Amino acid sequence: MLLHVNTSSGVPVYLQIEGQVKQALAAGALRQDDALPSVRRLAAQLRVNPNTVAKAYQNLEREGAIRTVPGGGTYVADSSPGLLKSEKVRRLRPVARQLAVESTQLRLAPGDVVKLVEDELDGLGGKR
Amino acid sequence: MNDLAIHTQGLAKFFGKTRAVDGLDLNVPRGSVYGFLGRNGAGKTTTVKTLLGLLRPTAGSAQVLGYDIRRDLVAILERTGFVPENKTLFDSLTPAQLVRFNQGYFPKWSSELVERYADLLEIPMQVPFAKLSLGNKTKVCHLLALCQGAELLILDEPSVGLDPVITDLLLRLLVEDHVSEGKTVFLSSHQLTEVERIADWVGIIEKGKILLETRLEDIRQNYRLIRAAAETAPAVSSPDLVAVQSSDNFRTYLVARAAEDFAAMLRAKGMTILEILPVSLEEVFLGLTRKEVPCIPGKPGTIPVPA
Repeated sequence: MLLHVNTSSGVPVYLQIEGQVKQALAAGALRQDDALPSVRRLAAQLRVNPNTVAKAYQNLEREGAIRTVPGGGTYVADSSPGLLKSEKVRRLRPVARQLAVESTQLRLAPGDVVKLVEDELDGLGGKR
Repeated sequence: MNDLAIHTQGLAKFFGKTRAVDGLDLNVPRGSVYGFLGRNGAGKTTTVKTLLGLLRPTAGSAQVLGYDIRRDLVAILERTGFVPENKTLFDSLTPAQLVRFNQGYFPKWSSELVERYADLLEIPMQVPFAKLSLGNKTKVCHLLALCQGAELLILDEPSVGLDPVITDLLLRLLVEDHVSEGKTVFLSSHQLTEVERIADWVGIIEKGKILLETRLEDIRQNYRLIRAAAETAPAVSSPDLVAVQSSDNFRTYLVARAAEDFAAMLRAKGMTILEILPVSLEEVFLGLTRKEVPCIPGKPGTIPVPA
C-alpha cells in the first residue's frame, strides 16, 4: 500500500492516512480481506510516529472500513460498512455543506454541482 | 516508578552572568518522541549536557528515567544513548575500534544492530575517526548510541552533515527499531520538518526557559492562525493568545485554543475576519520566538498586544 503524507500541509497526518486508505477503498485499489501493513511497518515506511498510524487505524476500524484480528493483523472489512443509512448521511453532511457553500460562492448552478459529483462517482469505476 | 523519562524542576545553569538555562521545567513522557526546539543559543545543548552530567546544574533538580542527575549518574548513562552536538569521539580510533571500546560498558549492547546499521548507513568502519567527513562522524555517533540497548535516546542536532537519503533512513530506523519498541527519543533540533514527522511531543525553549510544551496533536487540532483586518485594530487580550503580528491594517493572531471564540470577540470589536487557518509547527515556533514579537517567557498567553 503506497501512502504519502505531507507534514507541512496543516492537515493532521492521521487524517491524511485515513483519507488515503478510504480513497484506495473507494477506487477499488484495496478490496475486502486485503491485508494492511502493521502499524509499525507503516510508521517506518512513512517515517511518522507509530501513535499517529495507530490513531488512523482506530478511526478506520470504528467506521467499519477495516478490522483488526487480535495478534493477526489488519484487514479491509466487509465492503459495505454496516452502518444505518441515516448514519452514513450524517457523516457525509459536512462535506456536502462545504460543497454547497463553495459552489454558491463560485455561482455554479445546482445542476452543474450534481453533474460534478456524478462525474466523480463515475471516475471511481465499478465499485458502486 | 515515574512515567516521565525526563523531568526537570527549575533547572538552571549559569556561566558567569550568562543564564544559559534559567529555571527550566521539562516533562518528557516515557515512550514519547519529544522534539526539543529552540533557536541557536536558546539553551538546548546546555540542557542536554546538564542532564547527562557533563555540566553541573547551578540550581534546580532533574530526574532522568527516574534517577537523580546529581546522585545516580552511572545508572542514567548506562540506560541513555547520546549523540552529542559536536560529534566528537576518539580521533585515532576507527569506528570498528570505537564499537569494541563502547560495547564493554553496556550490558544490552546489540552486535546484530551494529552490523546491520554499519551496512545500511554505509559507514567506513576501518578509517580513523579524525579522517571521516562530518556526515560519517555523525553516523558513527548514531551507531554507538542506537546499538547500546538504551531506554532513552538523547539526540542533539542528529542530522548535522547528513544527506537527505541518510536522514530519511535514520528516521526509519528510529521509528522501526526504537520508537516502536517503546523507547523514548529526545530530539534537540531546529529541523522542524523532521520533528513534525516523528515527534508526538514538542517543547520550545527560549532564553533558557520553556515557552511551550504540548502534544503535537494539540497544535494541529487547536492552534489556529486568525487573519483579520480593521482600520484601527482594537486592544485585545486573552489567555489563549500566543502571538500577534501586524502590518498596516492587518493583524495575524496565533491562538492556542478556542479560535472561533477568539474570532467572535474580534468581530464584536469591529474587525473583519479574513480567514482562520490551521498552523504548522514552524509557524508556532516562529510566532513564539520571532524577534519582532515580544513575548514573555514561560507565559505565552500574556503577550502585550502591540499598539
